[in-house]
Amino acid sequence: MSEQYEVEFIERGDREATFLVRGVTPAFANGVRRAMLADVPTLSIDEVRVVENSSVMFDEQIGLRLGLVPLTTPRDEFSEGETVTLALDVEGPGTAYSGDLVSSDDLVSPAEENVPIIDLKEGQRLEIEADAVMDTGKEHAKHQGGVAVGYRHLQRIEVVGDNEAFEQDDPRIVRGVIEAEGELVPAESFGNDLTNRYEGKEVEVHDVPNAFVFDVETDGSMSVDDLVLAAVDSIGDRADELAAAVQL
Amino acid sequence: MMVPVRCFTCGNVVGEHWEEFKARTREDDENPKAVLDELGVERACCRRMLVSHKDLVDIVAPYQ
Ligand SMILES: [Zn+2]
Repeated sequence: MSEQYEVEFIERGDREATFLVRGVTPAFANGVRRAMLADVPTLSIDEVRVVENSSVMFDEQIGLRLGLVPLTTPRDEFSEGETVTLALDVEGPGTAYSGDLVSSDDLVSPAEENVPIIDLKEGQRLEIEADAVMDTGKEHAKHQGGVAVGYRHLQRIEVVGDNEAFEQDDPRIVRGVIEAEGELVPAESFGNDLTNRYEGKEVEVHDVPNAFVFDVETDGSMSVDDLVLAAVDSIGDRADELAAAVQL
Repeated sequence: MMVPVRCFTCGNVVGEHWEEFKARTREDDENPKAVLDELGVERACCRRMLVSHKDLVDIVAPYQ
């Protein structure tokens, strides 16, 4: 495998990005995807001490809901197994939101403030103290920083001839990003149907070898940049670990 | 009972959109499709989480 990969962004946001990587094997591309899902640790509430819960939900249900709230996880600040304490105290009537969680660490806060935890009626109260622990998606899906992470081959479109006039074109659906006339074009821009872009033309679609278009989204616990870099680092760390382990 | 925090299928956080979705579709009678598009809930798996949800807290609260 080549030492240098070429990375080109098609869309780049804080929580959502699409980028093209050239020069990687399918196995490595899948390795990066899996690392993003299972190997990048994030903070998530894992233990809840209930002081008072007079809401209509059981403690366990509240615990599950709190665990699923993404917490911002700054890169390289926490190591696996470290904990951060959060507290929540809301009295009805009203709704307890994820934003009501008070963190003991300024770096850690709920990534979404507006997630309803539980609706409280008159006289009901939820008071808890919770420990967020740094762990990986392998342990529990709530620690998974990447959401709907996937990749597909980059496809090259070549015009090979003309279609006969007035011939009924069947739709030719493509997804993701195509390479046409040397440019990268998101398939959405022509309704995912090649017959819209190449009317009356006969086209051939080929997978470009070792070029993959990644779609990455995060749950808000970290930025896409951090997630991808941490995933690639974790692969490097494991390769080093393996190299050290097989040396006798 | 309460809206799920995350989408069951993909794990995207959808709970944060519930109150706005509910207010706009059930009270202001807006088109749910347009509201979901505006909220940025793209995938069908996440959209069904909001479309098919019913709050039940008010119904069970009296029997607590
Ligand atoms: Zn979903």
